[in-house]
Amino acid sequence: MPTPVLMPQMGESIAEGTIVRWIKKVGDAVDRDEPLFEISTDKVDAEIPAPAAGVLTEIKVKEGETVAVNSVVATIGASSEISKQEPEAMSAPPPASAASPSREAVVPADVVDQPHGKPATSPRKTNGRSATATKPVEDDSRKQRSSPLVRRIARDNDVDISQIHGSGLGGRVTKNDILGYIDTGIRDSGSGIRDDQGAGVSRTPGESRVTNPESRVEVRPLSVMRKKIAEHMVMSRRTSAHVHSVFHVNFSTVERIRQQKKAEFEQSGVKLTYMAFIAKAVVSALRKFPIVNASLDGDNVIYKKDINLGIAVALESGLIVPVIKHADEKNLLGLSRAIADLANRARAKQLKPEDVHDGTFTITNPGQFGSQFGMPIINQPQVAILGIGTIEKRPIVIDDAIAIRTMAYLTLGYDHRLVDGATGDQFMAEIKHQLENFD
Amino acid sequence: MKSFDVVVVGAGTGGYVAAIRAAQLGKTVAVVEKQSALGGTCLIWGCIPTKALLEHAHALKVIQQASEWGVTLPSGTPTINMTQVHTRKDKIVDGLTKGIAFLFKKNKVTWIKGTARLAGPGKVEVFEGDKQTLEAKEIILATGSSPRSVPSVTIDHTRIITSDEAIHLKEVPTSLVIMGSGAVGVEFASIYRRFGSEVTIIELVNRLVPVEDEAVSAELEKSFKKQGIAVLTGTKVTKATSTSTGITVEAETDGKTQKISAEMLLVATGRGPVTTGLGAEEAGIKMERGYIKVDELYRTSVPGVSAIGDVITLGTGVHPQLAHVSSMEGIITAERIGGKDVQPLNYDHVPGCTYCDPEIGSVGLTEAQAKERGYDVRIGTFPFGVLGRARMAGETEGFVKIVADKKYDELLGVHMIGPRSTELVAEAVLALRLECTVEELIKTIHAHPTFSEAVGEAAHAAHGAAIHM
Repeated sequence: MPTPVLMPQMGESIAEGTIVRWIKKVGDAVDRDEPLFEISTDKVDAEIPAPAAGVLTEIKVKEGETVAVNSVVATIGASSEISKQEPEAMSAPPPASAASPSREAVVPADVVDQPHGKPATSPRKTNGRSATATKPVEDDSRKQRSSPLVRRIARDNDVDISQIHGSGLGGRVTKNDILGYIDTGIRDSGSGIRDDQGAGVSRTPGESRVTNPESRVEVRPLSVMRKKIAEHMVMSRRTSAHVHSVFHVNFSTVERIRQQKKAEFEQSGVKLTYMAFIAKAVVSALRKFPIVNASLDGDNVIYKKDINLGIAVALESGLIVPVIKHADEKNLLGLSRAIADLANRARAKQLKPEDVHDGTFTITNPGQFGSQFGMPIINQPQVAILGIGTIEKRPIVIDDAIAIRTMAYLTLGYDHRLVDGATGDQFMAEIKHQLENFD
Repeated sequence: MKSFDVVVVGAGTGGYVAAIRAAQLGKTVAVVEKQSALGGTCLIWGCIPTKALLEHAHALKVIQQASEWGVTLPSGTPTINMTQVHTRKDKIVDGLTKGIAFLFKKNKVTWIKGTARLAGPGKVEVFEGDKQTLEAKEIILATGSSPRSVPSVTIDHTRIITSDEAIHLKEVPTSLVIMGSGAVGVEFASIYRRFGSEVTIIELVNRLVPVEDEAVSAELEKSFKKQGIAVLTGTKVTKATSTSTGITVEAETDGKTQKISAEMLLVATGRGPVTTGLGAEEAGIKMERGYIKVDELYRTSVPGVSAIGDVITLGTGVHPQLAHVSSMEGIITAERIGGKDVQPLNYDHVPGCTYCDPEIGSVGLTEAQAKERGYDVRIGTFPFGVLGRARMAGETEGFVKIVADKKYDELLGVHMIGPRSTELVAEAVLALRLECTVEELIKTIHAHPTFSEAVGEAAHAAHGAAIHM
């Protein structure tokens, strides 16, 4: 029985994913859970494991193409089942309607507000790349002036000419333009992926191109992750009424406990970090203030029973927010272990789709690079995000005396549509109380 | 002091075209020219007079072959009368230079007769002839080039001559040694061989026309030898002396020296920049080996001063000293000054036309250059001799050779030697400019019966097989 390989859902607000690289070729034998292909979505770049053992008999979605989640991207079967069809000859991938709404469909805030979170049931407009291989290229060429050579290069490299800024007369795309486009697109993102609506890549007319030797700028297309982050951040700013509260928190108690338990934790193979303490305090505050663990859906508030903590992890090329599921069920050791595991796997591109799902609250740590405090942007469709400033010894006043204590500024960015200042500050006061009186 | 938007120094094919284009774009323009007529080297000393002579040679060739055509001539050998040749040639040159004077009037370009030098920012001093100082917002230097010898040979302009003299020879020399087998060398070899001279051509490199594809060089050598031109390639002239009756050249091939005596020695070893008295260096303009250094839009190192044509170097390889290149550079410069959006010239798309017999027309990369740049090269060659049109014309030498890239089927170069090659190359120039593939060239209908069929067939050949081979 052939097993279809689906584009996984990598986050609640994600309707599609881009295949960055096929790790296996048609005809390759695969083991179950062996990395099969690499994808890029707005939240995560990840290697996707094979759902079954067998032979990769067919690849339906080529590298660089974007399809809706749950679309069939390949088939794994017995070795005799190798498809006669070459990927080049493939017709359009299955319509996006195959995608089932995410489990979070009850949280339509993201569906309503997120431009890329369009219900998966409305098939996205495909461009030349995700439909048949050659014909759309020719269609594009009619919209965009080019040359026989450029069209040939476009066909061979599966490039959509209409996405390229032409430097020739009348905006004609020249050989240098397309080769430059392919070069920068492939080499810089390390994948050959292109933005698929073109908004992030298309160059405005008159903009300097690399081919102009006079130009003092170099134009490179955004990586998929970068572009999705950009979209997501701007969308969040537009969606939520951001306000921020900053609290100065004494970490002396936490520090003392950390020093005490450090060795014990290390024996369990886990490094005890401040983050675990903060996560614990956040969980406890979220339990007290469920509105901070909610989402806004039109005229309804969605209260979430699980506390799933997203922890922002900085990567070389972007940012990922893996999620600690059921953080409220974990003790300090469990939280420490979960944080370390997610961060490691995020950096190794080993996150599984479910690792980035279903976050209800996010913690970000600008302090790790020395920032006193940050003013973080909410990770939609959540309503609040906690930023941790650098934790260091500072002089503070205790009982009219100046004392040296381990201190940090914690910042809460929250959505004033749902959370008022009083609630936000009480929530923060609770975190502060928890951290300063940790036991 | 007269003031202009643009002052152009030099009225050659670079300067006069730049002037007209600038005037068309609404600029007030003056051109300073030290010669008594407009048109520069191309019109007065180069392309036009030599090609006129070549047409005479061709006419003579047809008449010499009269019996083949069934034409009966009065008894005696057909000969050429050089006085009449020069009269006709000079009339053509005169008419064309007057044509430029007319175009200047029409476009209100002021022609100032004299020699110019740069005299401070935005100033050009005419210090000979119509003396005055001109004020210019923009200056375009288009002073061109002149024949250049090599250290071992001193030009005396009577026995040891350059092309400047060779176009005016009152009598056909009985024998002529030509140093250099670039365009100038092989063209005069063709002319004077046809006129009756014993011609020896000496080339330092191991093949004729070294800028062309090697196959073209080989074909030309074959034809030259058939015509009775002595070809000495890989040969260095170590000494040249002139006497009252002729010249003696010592030429060294593979370490062996031979003495060649002839009536005249034509030095065609290249052309050097003309900047004497221009004061370019004093004005702070960066030079390189005597050439004016410019960027890809022909700006010198001094703001407000541009330079075009034979006098420039772009600092990247050899800048082609060709009239049509100068003209295009003039247009680009004028349009840049006129505020138009301009793009740098692609020097890979410069056609070269050499009017030797058989003619050479070429554009783009040679096979060797294409390989050097790392292309996976495929070649298609088709001989003219197969074509009906060529047989009718009695011009069956030569071929069209296509150099293409295997990966994307890109046309990289087209090299032709044979009848009408200098005209046929136009199609190839357009094909390269528009980034044609060989496939497109194959699918382009080439009219029958024409010489151009060879282009289509060569394209076929590049894809495996020509139809008529």
